[in-house]
Amino acid sequence: MREAPVLQVKDLQVSFTVDKKPVPVVRGLSYSLPAGKVLAVVGESGSGKTVHALSILRLLPPGAQISGGEVLYKGKDVSACTEKELQRVRGQQISMIFQDPAASLNPVLTIGEQLTETLLAHKKITKLQARQEAAQLLEKVGITDAQKRLDEYPFQFSGGMCQRVMIAMALALSPDILIADEPTTALDVTIQAQIVRLIKQLQEQARMSVIFITHNLALASQVADEILVLYGGLCMEQAPADELFAKPLHPYTQGLLASLASVNTRPERLPAIPGQPPVAGENFAGCPFAPRCPHVTDKCRQSLPPLREIGARKVRCFWESTK
Amino acid sequence: MVRYIVRRLLLLPLVVLGVTFLLFFLTQRLSPEMRASLYVKDPRQMGALEEVIRQYGLRDNVFKQYGRWLSQVAHGDLGYSPSANMPVAKALKEYLPATVQLALVTMMLVVFFGVWFGAFSAVHKDKWQDSLARVISVGGFSLPIFVLGLLLLMFFYGKLGWFAPGGYSFQTDMIIHGPNFHTYTGFLLIDALLNGNGRVFMDVLSHLVLPAVTLCIGSFALMVRVMRSSMLEELNKDYVRTARAKGLSKGQVIYKHAGKNAIIPVITLASIQFIRLLGGTVIVETIFDYPGIGRFGVLAAQQLDIAGILGFSLMVAVLFVLGNLLSDILYTAVDPRIRLD
Repeated sequence: MREAPVLQVKDLQVSFTVDKKPVPVVRGLSYSLPAGKVLAVVGESGSGKTVHALSILRLLPPGAQISGGEVLYKGKDVSACTEKELQRVRGQQISMIFQDPAASLNPVLTIGEQLTETLLAHKKITKLQARQEAAQLLEKVGITDAQKRLDEYPFQFSGGMCQRVMIAMALALSPDILIADEPTTALDVTIQAQIVRLIKQLQEQARMSVIFITHNLALASQVADEILVLYGGLCMEQAPADELFAKPLHPYTQGLLASLASVNTRPERLPAIPGQPPVAGENFAGCPFAPRCPHVTDKCRQSLPPLREIGARKVRCFWESTK
Repeated sequence: MVRYIVRRLLLLPLVVLGVTFLLFFLTQRLSPEMRASLYVKDPRQMGALEEVIRQYGLRDNVFKQYGRWLSQVAHGDLGYSPSANMPVAKALKEYLPATVQLALVTMMLVVFFGVWFGAFSAVHKDKWQDSLARVISVGGFSLPIFVLGLLLLMFFYGKLGWFAPGGYSFQTDMIIHGPNFHTYTGFLLIDALLNGNGRVFMDVLSHLVLPAVTLCIGSFALMVRVMRSSMLEELNKDYVRTARAKGLSKGQVIYKHAGKNAIIPVITLASIQFIRLLGGTVIVETIFDYPGIGRFGVLAAQQLDIAGILGFSLMVAVLFVLGNLLSDILYTAVDPRIRLD
């Protein structure tokens, strides 16, 4: 990973305002995304993975705001852009697909309209050219009979097909970065695999960088070059994918890996990490994983372990065997 | 779609039968003498009352009388209305266009300003613009129509002398009933344009202003609230986030994406309001002495003009069914998920 990073996130902090008090959801996240690589951000519900993704393009819902840090796209701070500048970045340089593809498309506009408006917003082309391009895009994501389907509405597409349309739309302007926020969560398992393969294939073709957000470590292993494990708004461990799977260092990562179902071994019960993930805003001085950690010590409860670098990896833990 | 429309139109006679029979049955509560009295010019002529009762069979069984009325209607004869002093069919033809015209102008105002204010209010949620829009809409909603109408009339006609009551001025009356004015549609605004007569057009329009504004204010308040909440709901949907993520401008996101979805409930409300206006602008038409169908209905009811009442309700029932059908068709134009079949 020596290439210049296309995206750098530096000490990103995002908080929600609840009862006029800020509640931190992302608590200082840093990473850099090299060109042409796939970074998987893995975490449970509430770990801050989606919020962090939305904050890159400043699509946060009302009540949430970036409270610190920088998001540098090719050296330019996106978090300080004006709305106008941001519109040029969105869709053109960084684009995004979402969790629920059927709800992410406008129900009363045709697929063609939604695809062409993306093209027309950023390119100086005629409507007819945009339509031709839109048809090609649909074919690229594996939708046959594209000309006819351009005039159809989202409700005439299945969930998987809607996600293909979303992907076509996101890739319309050959962006440098695709942020995929749990793109397969709302889909059947068989469709999941197809969509993941499609994203991977298109990513390799275009040498695009992808931030793949998921709660599914197995899925992450299929696409990612690098994996970042997020817990309680903090990076717990970051490592190249193969190293992480070969030797998870953090007890949380170990727990996640242990709870993956495998075809070969069929235990009576799947091991699970006991306890509940932390609720944002809970006041903890120490490591957020401490209440569920099998190796917890008093030190973990009192102070937050720093993120230590070990070769190409990073881990946030006091536990001896991670050293 | 065509099948749906045909099916709905087949329902029309049923609705009309139901409404008119109910009313017919109610009018039978009046004695034959009372029903006949309006047709007798000189009450001192003792035999005349009995003559009318006998001639029209007012003592017959209710079903027989209703059947007779129906067969007349089928032949296009709605009877004679003593309160309007002309045949009912002619009265409807004369008064209905004025009311439709008034209702259309009112609805145009309501939809245009209501949608705009509602969307504006939603986009600026909890800011001063939103508060202002809400105050105006609540204020309009709480002002009774008869109070507002009288106040407007007092100020704009009484004090300023701008907008006179009635349907048109005396001069216009002369022109439109003169030899050089052709009646094409019965809608004076349209006919004036077709005749190329700007003076008549402006005159009719100026007589429409006060009743239309009065009717508009009450409906407008509801429209703002519906549009505002609908818009707020849509602005929180996932597809709005997608539209923003694509790099569309704020205007495109709000008006093209959210707006097109938010307008759907507005269609429901607007069609209900429109139909209500067609049959029920009674108060406003009375206040402004506007020669519409509502005023005709009220006069008929006050004078126990049975033929007039039945003709009026027949027409309202037909309009009701047609209006609902129209709103169903409008839905399909806005929401592709709705199919009529």
